[in-house]
Amino acid sequence: MPLILIGVTLIIFSMIWALGPDRLLASYIKSPEALKTPDAAERLIKKYGLDEPMPVQYLKWLGNILQGDFGYSMVGKKGVLPAMLERFPYTLELTIYAIIPVILVAIWLGVVSAVHQNKFIDQFIRVFALVGWSLPDFVFGLLLLLVFYSLLGWFPPGMVNTQFDLIMRSAEWNKITSMPTIDALLNGRFDIFVDALRHLILPVMTLAYLWWAYLLRITRSSMLEVLRKDYIRTARAKGVPENIVIQKHAKKNAMIPVLTVAGGSVIGLLGGTVFVETIFSRVGMGRFLADAATLLDYWSIIGGALFFSFIMIVGNLVVDVSYALVDPRIRLE
Amino acid sequence: MDSKNALLQVKDLRTYFHTEDGIVKAVDGVTFDVYSGETLGIVGESGCGKSVTSLSVMRLLDEKGEIAGGKIIFEGRDVMAIPESQMMKIRGNDMAMIFQEPMTALNPVFTVGFQIMEAILLHQDVNKEQARTMAIDMLRKVGIPEPEKRVDEYPHELSGGMRQRAMIAMALSCNPKLLFADEPTTALDVTIQAQILELMKSLQEQYGMALVMITHDLGVIAEMAQRVVVMYAGKVVEYAEVLTLFKKPRHPYTWGLMNAIPKLDEDKEVLYNIPGVVPDPLDFPDGCRFNTRCPLATDKCRKEEPPLVEVEENHTSACWYVDKLVEMIKVSRAGEGA
Repeated sequence: MPLILIGVTLIIFSMIWALGPDRLLASYIKSPEALKTPDAAERLIKKYGLDEPMPVQYLKWLGNILQGDFGYSMVGKKGVLPAMLERFPYTLELTIYAIIPVILVAIWLGVVSAVHQNKFIDQFIRVFALVGWSLPDFVFGLLLLLVFYSLLGWFPPGMVNTQFDLIMRSAEWNKITSMPTIDALLNGRFDIFVDALRHLILPVMTLAYLWWAYLLRITRSSMLEVLRKDYIRTARAKGVPENIVIQKHAKKNAMIPVLTVAGGSVIGLLGGTVFVETIFSRVGMGRFLADAATLLDYWSIIGGALFFSFIMIVGNLVVDVSYALVDPRIRLE
Repeated sequence: MDSKNALLQVKDLRTYFHTEDGIVKAVDGVTFDVYSGETLGIVGESGCGKSVTSLSVMRLLDEKGEIAGGKIIFEGRDVMAIPESQMMKIRGNDMAMIFQEPMTALNPVFTVGFQIMEAILLHQDVNKEQARTMAIDMLRKVGIPEPEKRVDEYPHELSGGMRQRAMIAMALSCNPKLLFADEPTTALDVTIQAQILELMKSLQEQYGMALVMITHDLGVIAEMAQRVVVMYAGKVVEYAEVLTLFKKPRHPYTWGLMNAIPKLDEDKEVLYNIPGVVPDPLDFPDGCRFNTRCPLATDKCRKEEPPLVEVEENHTSACWYVDKLVEMIKVSRAGEGA
């Protein structure tokens, strides 16, 4: 894992380095005043060491990263790391809510679908999965906005109503997790909790739909394969009741391929927040990255890339460990 | 023998599978009895319906399969009329089954001990500790070394022979009255095969259960069975006691099967095989189903289906030309002797 981290930082840094000293310089300059003298540019390039050989620059940059200095964020108007930490809880909240349908509901329905293969309930579930799998998620998000906000006005975009927003910015508000729904409960404001949930429904649906559909399809096909296995017949021949055959004997085996996808889905969901937060005008890491990209805010983009890579590496590690929990053939020695 | 005392009676069983291409009559009129303590062999080529017969008796057919006719009587009860909830109590307890592939017949994500204990806990009134002790005992009985250690191992940690022993332990853990062994040794090495057959024989004597040995291997039949049912294309073509069958086969298919076994004292370049292949189960030939491959087949065989008739006491055969066959066997055996 440390090796992967080094690889990731190397790749990311080579992207920075490829920008060249001139462009990088631009990100250090806060006002045109600094470039008044003719040799100012060269002087500043020297000052920040932008003309040094790549390995030297890389080590310097890595040193800064390790000390938590990710550079200055134009989008956040503060350091990149504090700017990201401020936004991450919102993205985390969105992702956590999206994981519930993606993992729990998809696996549940995938199993139901496989058990009732080709029956009505299976066809019904499969239609939804197929649509989710085929419909581009931004189209789905915009459709949801059109129907549930423009036409029906049930679920508005944004984070919370303005009046609640003011309360949440006030001094009495205890920021414990920085996740609106959880903080609302911790502050004993059920009305704010409900409102925050109302604002979460559409983005969560948009974010989750594709991965929900994908995971459901994987669960269904994996389950169908397992149900044909000899050991399922063995279990039935032992007199094991059918629901235990399915929920225990078959499901545990069927979960092995599902796990890989489930791990990937968490990472995919984080990636999906970039457009979901933009479409539903929410604050968060995804929106932060989208804004950074439009502003050519290099250090924010790099910071975001590092951040997501780190989460991805941790996510994969969790998947690998959980493999060993499900499949005894892969035991960590 | 009086079939009223039979542990299991199968009468004119018909099991059909409804596939997209049509109805597959996998088992089409099969009749046999199994008595307590005996071994009945069911022999035939792959796809002749041997396994489906046993799955039908245990009511373990998949949803495409359907028992379309006939009767299955187990201990005097009509198996087809038993509700599923009660059938679950019979499976694993009164009737058990061993499958061909020990590699795939054990669940890879549960320990061997768990899989044996599960059967015990389902059918016997014991707690987990007792079930575990019983599972260890069972593993010891089937000749698995260090059963206290093996009980916590996963199937992939055992060899093929050990897995089949574990399967047998699982099947016998509740002391069933009837055990179906569906090609239990086919996937194993020859030396292991002999060990497993030996084990099954001794366990059968110990427990006094009835055994239905399903195999394509006449050697296994000769070793294990007292009575033999020969199946071809979903039908019983011959039924006899084992010695009678080997001495006096009365169906050309049985005779063909026996000829296909190479003999050590013969110096043959080419091994005998029954010409042709098993007919497509979607489209069985009219008349006798063996007519496409039978050396004695005539127009009558292609039109009329021969009934299963008694050729001597406790020996039935479904062939129009038993006499011709007897003649042929005589000539052939005389040739061998010369």
